This record gives sequence, C-alpha cells and structure tokens, in this order.
Amino acid sequence: MAEGNSDMSVVADMPDWLNPLPWVEIAQTADVGDVQRALRTNAPGVRDLAALLSSAAADYLEPMAQRALTLTRRHFGRTISLYAPLYLSNYCNGGCAYCGFAADRMQERSCLNCSQVEAELLALKAMGFEDVLLLTGERCPQADFDYLFENVRLAAQHVHNVSVEAFAMTQSEYAALSEAGCMSVTLYQETYDPDAYAELHRWGEKQDYLYRLDAPARALAAGIRTVGIGALLGLSDPRTELICLYRHLETLRREHWRSGVMVSFPRLCDEQGHYTAPYPVDDRQLAQYIYAFRICLPDVPLVLSTRERAVFRDGLAGVGICRMSAASRTTVGGYLPDDATTGSQFDVSDTRDIYAFCSMLRAQGLDPVFKNWDAVFSALSEPQKI
Amino acid sequence: MSVAQDDKLILGTQVFGSRLLMGTGKFSDSETMVQAIEASGSELVTVALRRFNRDRQEDDLFGPLSELKDVTLMPNTSGARTAQEAIRAAVLAREISDSPFVKVEIHPNPHHLMPDPIETYEACVELVRQDFVVMPYMPADPVLAKRLEEVGCASVMPLGSAIGSGGGIGTAEMLRLIIRDSRIPVIVDAGLRSPSEAAAAIEMGCSAVLVNSAIAAADDPVGMAGAFAQAVSAGEAGRKSGIMPRSDQAVATSPLTAFLDGSEPRN
Repeated sequence: MAEGNSDMSVVADMPDWLNPLPWVEIAQTADVGDVQRALRTNAPGVRDLAALLSSAAADYLEPMAQRALTLTRRHFGRTISLYAPLYLSNYCNGGCAYCGFAADRMQERSCLNCSQVEAELLALKAMGFEDVLLLTGERCPQADFDYLFENVRLAAQHVHNVSVEAFAMTQSEYAALSEAGCMSVTLYQETYDPDAYAELHRWGEKQDYLYRLDAPARALAAGIRTVGIGALLGLSDPRTELICLYRHLETLRREHWRSGVMVSFPRLCDEQGHYTAPYPVDDRQLAQYIYAFRICLPDVPLVLSTRERAVFRDGLAGVGICRMSAASRTTVGGYLPDDATTGSQFDVSDTRDIYAFCSMLRAQGLDPVFKNWDAVFSALSEPQKI
Repeated sequence: MSVAQDDKLILGTQVFGSRLLMGTGKFSDSETMVQAIEASGSELVTVALRRFNRDRQEDDLFGPLSELKDVTLMPNTSGARTAQEAIRAAVLAREISDSPFVKVEIHPNPHHLMPDPIETYEACVELVRQDFVVMPYMPADPVLAKRLEEVGCASVMPLGSAIGSGGGIGTAEMLRLIIRDSRIPVIVDAGLRSPSEAAAAIEMGCSAVLVNSAIAAADDPVGMAGAFAQAVSAGEAGRKSGIMPRSDQAVATSPLTAFLDGSEPRN
C-alpha cells in the first residue's frame, strides 16, 4: 500500500507555496488596462496570467489567440505530437463523486490480460502511435502496482514513449516504473480547492489531498522525465484552480530542473457520471484559459484530449496546444476488434479516426508527429538525485 | 578560426561550400523541409535521432533527408539529459545513418533547452575517442570552447540565444572572445531570427550559422531559407572585403605622433 496517507485529515491545509492569493483577486478584478499590460509585457508572470484569466480578458480573445499562435509556432514548430490512451482496467476502489469509474457506479468492469494489452499495442502501432498513455482507475486488487508495472514493461517493448495515468504512488514505485521504461506520469490534482477535494473524494487512498499533490514531485524525484498536471475544470472556481496549477508547475520546475512539466485542460461536461459540474467552463472560457497559459508559459507543452469536440480541437491545434490524443478509445479493450462492452471514464467527443485527424492537421499546415522520442534515451536513465 | 582566415568551411575531413547549416524540426511537412533545404543551399543538415522513424515513412525525417544529393547528415542527440544518453544516441544514429558527424545536444531541462556544459564535455571526450566528427551545441563560454577544442571537437557551436527564442545574437561579447581564440570553426547555433542576424554573425567572424526555427516558423519557409542563404553569402563577402571600422570620433588632421619624426608641433 502507499505510504503517507495514514494521518490524513478530512480537509487539508493548502501549502503556502500553492496559495493562489493575491493573484485570485487580480483575476477577479482585473480591468482592461491590466489585460493590455499583460499582453504587452515580454516576460509575463503570474500577475499577467491572472489578468489574462479574468473576465476583462474575454474581450481580447483574438489578440490572445494571435500571440498564442506565434509562441506555439516559435517553440514547438508547425507540429502536433500525438499520443493514444490505452485503458488497461476500469476496476476502481475510488470514490470520486464526478467519475464514471467510481466504485459505486454500476458498470461492466474489465481488466486486460497481457495478450490483450499486446493486441491493443499492436493495434495502436498499426495506426502509427509510438507514444501511449496507460491508464487505470484507483489502486485496487485487479489493477495494482504490480499489474501496472508489468504492463509498462510490456508496452516499452513495443513503443518508444510509455506514459502512465493511474493512482498516486510512492517514490520507490515511481522509480520502478521509470526503470521499467515509463517516460512520463500524468496525475491531475482534480481540484486544488481543499474543501471541494474533501467533499468530492468520498473514500479511499485518494482522499489524501497532500499525498496526491506531492505525487508529481515524487515521480520526478524517482527519475520520471516528465509529469503531466491539470485541474479537472468544473469542480471549483476555474480561475483559482488555474492559478494553483500555475503555482504547482512553477514549484515543480524550480525543484526538478532536469524534468519536464506538461499541462492538460480536462473539463467536466454539464452532466457526466450522474454528476453536474458546479462551475461549468464553456468553450470561450476554456480557449481563453489555454491562450493565457501559452502566453505565460511559452515553452510548456499544453495538451488537449478527445474529450473535447472536433471543432474546438481543430481551433486550438497549434494555437496554444501542441500535444493531442487522437482516435482515442476510453473503454477497456476499445482498440480490440471485438469491441469492448465496458463503460468509459468519459465520452470521446472527437470520434475521428487517425487518418481523418491527421488530414485535418495537415490541412492546417501542421505536421502530425507520432515519434518524438527514442527508447535509446531511457535505457540508461538513473533516478535523479534529490 | 574566423571567416577571414578560413576560405572554406572544413569539418573533419570534409569541405563545405555553404556556411549555412540547417535544422530540420518544426516544419509542417517533409516536402517543405526538403524544399527549404534546397533553397538554403545548405550542405550539412542536422536531424534528431528521436525523429527517425523506420516503422512509418510519413513520420520519418531521416528517409527524405538521406535522399538529398550533396547534403551531409549530422544526427543530433536532442532529448539526452546526460553524456551517457547522448553517447548511446550518437552510436545508434551512426549505425542508422552511416554519418560520422554528430551534433552533441544535451539539454537536461526540456523547457529552456540550455546545453549542460559538464555533460556535453564528457560526451565529447568519448565521442572523439570513438572517431565521430563531434560538433557540440554549447553555451557561449570561451573557456568551454577551448576545452572542447582541446579534446578534439571538429567545431564548437555556441548559442546566440535560447533555442526557438528568436532572441538574436545576445551573446555577442562572448562570441567575439570565442572566435578570436578558436582554432576550429565557430558556428552560431540557436536564436537567430532574421537573415540580417545571420549576416552579422558571419561578419563578426563566425565560420557558419545553424538555423531552424527562423526558417521553419516563417510564413514562407522556402523563401526564408533562400533569404538566409543570401544573407550568409553577403556576410561572408562583406567580411572578406574588409568592413570599415566603426568610429564616431573625429580624426585629427595633423597626426598626433608627428612630433616623434621631428615635424612641426601641432597647434
């Protein structure tokens, strides 16, 4: 079992380094002058981010998008890195009130065995993918650490870049995953608001806010090269969430300078898993937030999944966003010929196949990049000194 | 070694007519990349091992580059965090490409992509020992440049500013020291935004420049590649023709030292 969650309190104290004040106040009160100043500055920081997240910046979407395009092109070129999610299991001990995988949701549960995982990997390889994200639910007997470890090792034999999005782990578990060939770990805090976090995570290991918050740092300390972080937009006030996310990223970059950090922008739809998002984020708002992050973090990969609709993804490809999933199946066994019967964690909104998606990118003058890594680099990686 | 001393660009045993080297990432498609290289007249282009994809032709940069006539490939180790990783990548890239050239790129921080001087030095020592033509991407540090020359690198490639920044030649003061003292070609790599900056780099004595983002991110990459080619040629011609010294001072009509020859004292 994971360490560090024995003395958890119901509502955690937010650590000082994450505190979003006073920036939240700027995000709530910024005026046109603050927005214009943020757009003029050469090296925007957290104050500028707050201004660009504000409602005053909603009238500046076009100039924000133009700047996001320029910065994305300069740092990432006319390319989009592609990855595919591979759901290993939807068994879950978690009690996340908003999630379709939660233990109390009635749905068909399934867990892939080795030969099924291999078949899925081959199906993804046939589409061209060299960058695969392995996913599970929360830690449970059917999909525990050993199961994940074996599947990382298996995937690393087939594709160059293996990532994991699962449960929060100990540093030694992350070190073992790294040695097995895991390049990156994605773990969203879901919400940085401790009160909302306590309310939404009804039982289990995931109730420990601070243990989860510290997990990306543990992964990097263990030798994982890149972490993906994010807030599940819709659960709490989005501007506060995004300022916390920015501060989380800043802290990770300072303390783990040999590492990369990616940012994703998952959001809950109005109703999902019988849960209604209390702070829904609409398309214009989400686009504004992504532009704001690109402007203030020009060299950080920003990621968008097929959770979003095709038209929205097309509009943000290369305009802030530089990494995207494509042709995704969010059901367990979804890439196998005899299609899965399990439920999904979330519904895929962009259902285009890989050819259609790549055609769209090419039509926009963007190169779909399937392989942007080589396994030769990971063969010798060592845990980072801390 | 500066342009003035060096009529041809010689790297390893190979002579290059063009002083414009090109990077190959960031293009919208490989056709544009190939056209831009042709327009640039570049004879030496670098390509990241991580963009080699032998399993998928349309995702592979090595394939189309290897078919270019009169272009030598210089694989790079971009993605490596340590000397060991870079060495491993260089060996694999040589096996695949059959090119002795390697651009050593070790940037442990994937955000700002600044080269690690310590790991770079260690990798270069070993890669020279393994008979590579070693061309390290490095911070603009005159001491490191001499250390890399001493271990047998074929060139040094100090940065003008951060990769992809378009910050221009922000390191001019250090570059002048590197150029003044170097016995091997000095190639400015990274940061150049416009053709005029490439011309300026050659005018100040760099042996060559390496450009990627400024071409790939231009509205017309092929047109921009041609513009860089002309700028590099102009910079070279200007340098060889003897650039007029910069001076804002008035020049005395009577020489100040005439009295030493027994001439009339000045008024």
